[in-house]
Amino acid sequence: MRDARPTRRTGLRAALALAALMIAAAVAVVFVGGSSGSSSADPALPPPPRSALAPKNVPLGPTPAALWAPVLATTAARTGPAEPTVAAEVPARTPEGTTNIVLIVGQTERRAGKLWVEVRVPGTPDDVRGWMPRSALGGYTPVRTRLVVNRERLRATLLRDGRPVFRAAIGVGAPATPTPSGDFYIRNQLHKYRSPFYGPVAFGTTARSANASDWPAGGWVGIHGTDLPELIPGQVSAGCIRMTNRDILRLARSMRVGTPVTIR
Amino acid sequence: MSDLTLETVDRSGAIAETFDELTAGTRADFFRKAVIGGTALTAALETPALAQPRNTAKDIAILRFDLNLEYLQAAMYGEAERLGQIGPRTLDWSRVVGANERGHVRAIRGLLGRDAVKSPSFNFRGVTEDDRLFTETAVAFEDLTAALLKTQAIQVDSRHVLAALASLHSVEARHAAWIRHIAGIVPSADAFDEPTSKAKVVRLVDSTNFVTSVPRTKGRRRPGYTG
Repeated sequence: MRDARPTRRTGLRAALALAALMIAAAVAVVFVGGSSGSSSADPALPPPPRSALAPKNVPLGPTPAALWAPVLATTAARTGPAEPTVAAEVPARTPEGTTNIVLIVGQTERRAGKLWVEVRVPGTPDDVRGWMPRSALGGYTPVRTRLVVNRERLRATLLRDGRPVFRAAIGVGAPATPTPSGDFYIRNQLHKYRSPFYGPVAFGTTARSANASDWPAGGWVGIHGTDLPELIPGQVSAGCIRMTNRDILRLARSMRVGTPVTIR
Repeated sequence: MSDLTLETVDRSGAIAETFDELTAGTRADFFRKAVIGGTALTAALETPALAQPRNTAKDIAILRFDLNLEYLQAAMYGEAERLGQIGPRTLDWSRVVGANERGHVRAIRGLLGRDAVKSPSFNFRGVTEDDRLFTETAVAFEDLTAALLKTQAIQVDSRHVLAALASLHSVEARHAAWIRHIAGIVPSADAFDEPTSKAKVVRLVDSTNFVTSVPRTKGRRRPGYTG
């Protein structure tokens, strides 16, 4: 009896060891075999097409400095949605023959089934706010730039997404014909005309000379080049903002129609 | 400024070629009515365009068509988000879908490389400023996109374009189901989806009049400013 116990224990140990080996082998087959693939057993499949796309969303981007819209037909801007009082008449064309535009302030209201949009339009002495039917306007375009004109320092600064990207010395209105101050916007860009006086490029703003009735074209203030660069910087103009031809060409590369203009 | 037909907008002829490929109709017939509408792709391209396999003419036409539709959708969602005139609940899903659609634009532009077309101008005519109209239009375009991608999937030549369209299709289908659910419309009323007919795509897009001419804000007239 004493001799039989070690033999039984040895047999039990051997059986346990064999069972453990079998389990280990089975686990190895499942995991190792599964992950490495069974290429020899599978039919020859082509590799999946490489996806050129990665799951990535694109954020909207910075808040624009302004949104503008073209005026589709000459329309009155009202003091409120569907109000009878007219804040300003808004022609479809500018005096320069381009499509007129308005800035979108942001509020909309529906009155009697008609959508009204709050806009900024040219006024005197500053831009005015009014309400126009949405149907009188075209599509909205965002702009990222804002122009700041400092009459005291005789400097213009263009900001994109709030950061300065352009600076230039300027000429502004002489004391008798001052450049008006206030908030305005760029509503057109003229080029390829023949007039050395205005330089190679001219931007039309919604700012208007205080003596607008004296001007046959309405007294609108422009931002343009010059054939007299030696006068810049200075208080030299009849109200317009002048800069050297080199600078106005530089500005034209960065500033788009619809850009808000602040004249201080 | 008047709204444009495809003939007026597409000076390069790229969009028209796309429609010719897809519709197999006569170009003259199509020009009379066609305007651009909406589809989609999913996510942004990370691999540079030059590293992609070369696209066939047919695949370029299909991708250009999709790109224009993606431009439209991305612009619509983006404008709604910027204006903030739709309700907060609508704005929430619009932000998510808009970020996807802008990713689609970037991805298709990457696939097309130098063959990519520029974005047309859009006038959403108040749709982005009205909650109900916006939601209904979004459902219509997402449904259309998902259905159109099915049509295109069997037309493309290249496997890499097919892979891209497939990855777009599932995202567009999710958009459609999600917005339908929010709008109280059954997301999957039928057991099977049919590919949409090309004529239906053109008809729907045409009916929106969303594609417009670029406003003429540049001129050559001598300035009359104060000087």
